[in-house]
Amino acid sequence: MKNRNGIYAALFLLVGTMLAVNAAAQNGTSATANASPAVASAADARALRIEGEQRFRANCGRCHNAPHKFPPRMMATIVRHMRVRATITDDDMKLILRYMTE
Amino acid sequence: MNKTSPSTRLWTARCPMFSWMLAVPGFLAILLGTACAPAQAQTDEAKPIPILTGGAALLSNVKDGQPQVLTVAAPVLLVPLGDRFLIETRSKMQDIFERSDAAGWYGATSTQGLDYLQADYIANRYVTVTVGRFLTPFGMFNERMLPFWIRCLQNTPLIYPIATGSSDGAMLRGGISSGKANINYALYFSTLSTNAVLKSDRTAGGRIGMFLPGKRIEVGASFQQLLQQDRSRTVGMHFAWQPKAIPMNLRSEYARSGMKGSGIWIESDYRLSQIPHARKMEVVSRAQKYRVGKLASADAVNLGLPAADTFEMDFGFNYYLRDGMKATTSYGRQFSTAKDSNIWTAGMSYRFVVPLGPKDMR
Repeated sequence: MKNRNGIYAALFLLVGTMLAVNAAAQNGTSATANASPAVASAADARALRIEGEQRFRANCGRCHNAPHKFPPRMMATIVRHMRVRATITDDDMKLILRYMTE
Repeated sequence: MNKTSPSTRLWTARCPMFSWMLAVPGFLAILLGTACAPAQAQTDEAKPIPILTGGAALLSNVKDGQPQVLTVAAPVLLVPLGDRFLIETRSKMQDIFERSDAAGWYGATSTQGLDYLQADYIANRYVTVTVGRFLTPFGMFNERMLPFWIRCLQNTPLIYPIATGSSDGAMLRGGISSGKANINYALYFSTLSTNAVLKSDRTAGGRIGMFLPGKRIEVGASFQQLLQQDRSRTVGMHFAWQPKAIPMNLRSEYARSGMKGSGIWIESDYRLSQIPHARKMEVVSRAQKYRVGKLASADAVNLGLPAADTFEMDFGFNYYLRDGMKATTSYGRQFSTAKDSNIWTAGMSYRFVVPLGPKDMR
């Protein structure tokens, strides 16, 4: 049992270290990564909408048909739930949420 | 099966605190990663509110001449807290009406269960930490396809009881996008619980998947190690493809367990959205095969597995009445070394979504 605990603890340490290094590396580029959906101008809105629809079909459409659009605050909860349930990436989640609340 | 390196064995034998010495820095590293990582960009988006959702179904099936009627309700409660937390739970209430003998009255059996009650913490873009009772991340059917309003055929695959169900413990999961491919993962540890509601096995495992958005292909592999009883190991693979040219989904799963046997299923559903007057219709087919493991027949049946080697073909037809509501019917033929049989199903399923809280919040 102790042997197993040692292996699990080592895995835990490895995962933690990877996450810390990964997160630190992301800090430098996070502004760029997060800015793309947020800084949408009027000219970008259409492109983002199309991209959001494509991400929706690619991610959500794999399991179920497209539901009706719900009010934004409900949709924010549903998308957060599906982010966890279907392991949707952060970028996809933002674009899908944007598309589903427009 | 239980091999460990000599050095690890030596260290853990000499120093009982070795596990903690590794685990504590690991935990701190995760916290550091969380603190350093960019926060969720939800400040400019609508604030989420609690909602009650879920599904309900009325189903009828006839297997080998034995009719059965099921009513199922599976409410899901979602409570978001701040920008990073989500509390979610799903329970299931099911009534089965069937005759104990061919000419007798119908009797009802009621069952209730808690599928999950979990707290999710979205640590950063790539990691979500989940604690509590959660659906075991093995393959794709258990987590994504199980709700009645989602699944295309009402019968679960033959291999579904292998390595699925619910687990009590902690899980790390998330997704990483690299442009042409999305990588998703889940790693978990579950503790033993003999409580009737929170029943779970002591297991550790995980799943990793890759999704190619351009080709709409998903492939993944799952692993589970039982840390009690026979300490058996289970592996699985899954595949999904959604061609762009036609409204079709193709899915497949394979699982192999030392004790519970092995099997594969492949399913296709085709939405007739390109045909006028048939846009709300969907045709489904599934082929599946199961090969028994080392379990005794009675134990296999208790788990929901076939008692003998089985091959099954199913054909279904669904009609979407409106969003979240569909009528479903199917026919299947099961070929088993024990006995061949026909399986008929028909029913209705419905998905509901209700906002909670004061009206001005919604």
